[in-house]
Amino acid sequence: MQAIEAFLTGRIWIKQFIPFPEEVIQEATEKGSARVVSGISADGQCARCLETSPDYVIPFQCATCGEVCRYCRTCIKMGRISSCTELVLWTSPALPKSAPRAFGWVGSLTPQQETASKAISESIRKQEDHLLYAVCGAGKTEILFSPIHEALQKGLRICVAAPRTDVILELSPRFKQAFPDAVIHTLYGDSPEQTGYGEIILATTHQLYRFQEAFDLLFVDEADAFPYSLDPSLERAVKKAGKPSAPVIYISATPSKTLRKQIAGHSTIFRRYHGAPLPVPVYRAMWNYEHHLRKGKLPSPLKDWIEDKLQKKQPFLLFFPSIQLIELASPLLYKIDCAIAAVHSKDPQRKEKVMQLREGALAGLATSTILERGITIPHLQVAVIGADHRVFDRAALIQIAGRVGRNAKDPTGDVIFFHNGITRQMDAARQEILFYNKEGKA
Amino acid sequence: MNCCLCDQALRFAPSWRGIFLYEPPELLCQPCRNEFLKIIGQGCKYCGKEGEAVCRDCHYWEEHGYRDLIHSGKSLYRYNGAMKDWFHQYKFLKDVLLAQVFAKDLREALANERALIVPIPLNAEKLSERSFSQVDELLLAAGIPYSHLLEKCGETLGEKTREERMATKQLFRLNGEAVPKQLVLVDDLYTTGTTMRQAAKILQEAGAESIRILTLIRA
Ligand SMILES: [Zn+2]
Ligand SMILES: [Zn+2]
Ligand SMILES: [Zn+2]
Ligand SMILES: [Zn+2]
Repeated sequence: MQAIEAFLTGRIWIKQFIPFPEEVIQEATEKGSARVVSGISADGQCARCLETSPDYVIPFQCATCGEVCRYCRTCIKMGRISSCTELVLWTSPALPKSAPRAFGWVGSLTPQQETASKAISESIRKQEDHLLYAVCGAGKTEILFSPIHEALQKGLRICVAAPRTDVILELSPRFKQAFPDAVIHTLYGDSPEQTGYGEIILATTHQLYRFQEAFDLLFVDEADAFPYSLDPSLERAVKKAGKPSAPVIYISATPSKTLRKQIAGHSTIFRRYHGAPLPVPVYRAMWNYEHHLRKGKLPSPLKDWIEDKLQKKQPFLLFFPSIQLIELASPLLYKIDCAIAAVHSKDPQRKEKVMQLREGALAGLATSTILERGITIPHLQVAVIGADHRVFDRAALIQIAGRVGRNAKDPTGDVIFFHNGITRQMDAARQEILFYNKEGKA
Repeated sequence: MNCCLCDQALRFAPSWRGIFLYEPPELLCQPCRNEFLKIIGQGCKYCGKEGEAVCRDCHYWEEHGYRDLIHSGKSLYRYNGAMKDWFHQYKFLKDVLLAQVFAKDLREALANERALIVPIPLNAEKLSERSFSQVDELLLAAGIPYSHLLEKCGETLGEKTREERMATKQLFRLNGEAVPKQLVLVDDLYTTGTTMRQAAKILQEAGAESIRILTLIRA
């Protein structure tokens, strides 16, 4: 495969930023192997992220081309695209080549994992979508290894997408170990450029904008929000990145009803890989907590709970509904123990602080909802402050509870909902966890 | 419509002002809007920086051959985290729409201005590459008429150190339009004041008698 072909196959790229000389690109377009398209189509659609809303595709007087251009705000972080931006697509198809491939995964699956793994392979063979509905800590990644190995041997191009960078970074070393002879690309917001042909692409969902009809098989991890009602562009990204016939395997601990209805092929695992039940949330009333925090007082039920964890030397997470509340609480928490820190989504030291909690350098972390996933810490205890707040919906609360008891050596731990009144979402989360535990036993 | 910075849905609170007087719709949610900090009170007489009556940078210029070149000036906002993010997205990610975020502030500052409003220009190559002139766009969004009197020469200040910036000699030349006696120079960001001093000097030599300056942000 020619270097430019390896780079461009399945990608849609701004011409100016293609890491090959102009003549090489020109030659490819003249031969018909590549095609140049306008960044924004005449009817106002972004060619990269497929945005069409006039709230995001904005006209302006462009000094580059001297005309009224439109530019796309939805994918602007990847380098702005406007009507006069040229995008290049590779048009010659890549033919899959089957060959035996190394498999570096040596673990074993529980019977439930085994069944799910087989069902996924079967769906892929039939080119059908599949939903893996598995509780937090079910061992989802291991379930995927065998189907992915089969696909790799058939020469299929595979993508695993997840909404957040942390998850992708966690998957990357595990995939490299499991598939030692595969070319694996790991793509996220500011990841280093990877210019060859990746056989397995691990990518944040946003990065899929950069692909077009690239994949024979897609896995969408943490598909809880799917179909993405809040950000339909991500759903479009998945569809666009896959070939028309590519099956999509959705993975979620809390799939929406729509997704459950939409997809015929299902596997369910309601039991954790270590067999112990999921910790069930406990409610504790904490009236007017916000008022107390504003007056500079830590409500006593919360204070008592924290002191108990400090005494037992158990790491803990405190989930707050807003950054403002974290800011109010953090000096008060610091007063109890200076090893309690705070993080929020824009905190550049987020990763370090989570590592410090894992290693015991920090006793606890106050956090916004961003840390609800992708974090596994032994002996972790969790409290939600203001579980009645609207940011804590059923799915978020289940995810938060799912952080606790993931380790086989200590499968228990506190999940406590401090509240100012019990909401339907809190009850729905608790009922669902009880249901998993009942089903998981059977 | 969502907030153009954080993409959260905007909640509309219709106001009587909005109904009776035409006001363009708000582009930011209240929390994002609150992150920007206006410069208030009397600061540096030349650039508006909070603190002393003449800031360190302006003091340097006054002592080094630029005395009384600028009559007076002000800046509207501080260069805090939110402003840095806005500036990056506007100027470097080229999100032209963001010019409208400060339209009201610039309109208030310049609507009753009688002197000619003169934006600091980009050089032609930079303009073609960026696709818009960030100062012109700010004024256009605010509905403030302006005229260009200057052209930018090749050099840009972007990669220079503070000392190199202050020693830069010739940044601008006249574009041939008549220079009036009174004018207001407008720029997006005031860092050391080199740009403004250079522009003012050449305009003074061409006959301007009273030069005032306005910048959106004081670093
Ligand atoms: Zn786009
Ligand atoms: Zn253009
Ligand atoms: Zn906002
Ligand atoms: Zn000053």
